[in-house]
Amino acid sequence: MKKGKITITITIGLVILILTAVIFLQFKTINQTDITALENMREDELRTEISNFKQKIAEISGQLDETNAKISEYQEAIASNEQASDLLVQELDQQNNIIGKNAVKGSGVVITLTDTRAQKITAEDLRELVNELKIDGAEAISINGQRIVYDSYIVDIGNTFIRINGVESIVSPYVVKAIGDPTYLESGLSKKQYGYIDSKLEEGKDVTLTRQDNIVIEKYNGDLNMEYAN
Amino acid sequence: MIAIAIVIGCALGAIIGINLPNISYTYSGYLAIAIVAALDSVFGGLTSVLKGNFNLKIFLSGFFGNAILSMLLTWLGVKLNVDIYLAAIVVFVGRMFTNLAIIRRYYIEKWSKKEVKEEIKNENEKETMGKD
Repeated sequence: MKKGKITITITIGLVILILTAVIFLQFKTINQTDITALENMREDELRTEISNFKQKIAEISGQLDETNAKISEYQEAIASNEQASDLLVQELDQQNNIIGKNAVKGSGVVITLTDTRAQKITAEDLRELVNELKIDGAEAISINGQRIVYDSYIVDIGNTFIRINGVESIVSPYVVKAIGDPTYLESGLSKKQYGYIDSKLEEGKDVTLTRQDNIVIEKYNGDLNMEYAN
Repeated sequence: MIAIAIVIGCALGAIIGINLPNISYTYSGYLAIAIVAALDSVFGGLTSVLKGNFNLKIFLSGFFGNAILSMLLTWLGVKLNVDIYLAAIVVFVGRMFTNLAIIRRYYIEKWSKKEVKEEIKNENEKETMGKD
């Protein structure tokens, strides 16, 4: 065999060796590389990925906006609920003032009835006074600290006590506090001759009336329950 | 002889290639272009062998030169933001087809000539038999 031919054979063999080595190396690299990894993606693939992500971001931010809108709606609802409950509390407070479950304060008159030697103050006198005060627009009345409520009653117990609201037995002097327009109350009670004060004085009972600005009337201490009415 | 060298080269190359460490995916594009260029050179070499004008120096320079040049062009293309490697692939693969066509024609012609010769031979035999 010629020397030249051997060289050619060896050279070609080497060249083919290099070529196949590189080809297999390439096969192996392509096989083993994770094409989906971000670093290995081609530019156009990355582009589509980016646009996908942008779309997703747009969708999600849309959802976020919706959710935020809902949240603010709910917050408004909560706020209006709070307003409503505030109103309810206010209303309850007013109703309690009216029915006597709250201590109330205001201007009005204080009438003091005292037993004299000649005449004792009777339950009838007090009932009459309460009635008179109501006619003259009294909003809250108490006798010796006992609030007059819708079911209050005033009765004599023997000759010594007067009972109010079924529990309290009181004696002279009787201090009747009434909150209302002081002018109306006073003028209503002190009508000449036929007025309450004049007629009682005439009977020989001791009645005094004073106007006061800051009368405090305690709340009713008993239960306000209805069993049959509903 | 050359065929044996090719087979041995292929086998050894496959073993070496599988055992080599992986290259970075980023550079595998360059390697692919180099492979296409080298394959083109190999087919060119085969064609020249068949034509009888094979030159080892031309083959070797083509093999390595084309591979390196195509890698450089690809690199340039990346820098210029133009896919120059497409041009390289078109040229190399086009040439590969041309060379394959030449090889194919060579062998087909060789085979048909053989057939024709045999036919002529047979006819000659018949003629001689007929004369008898």
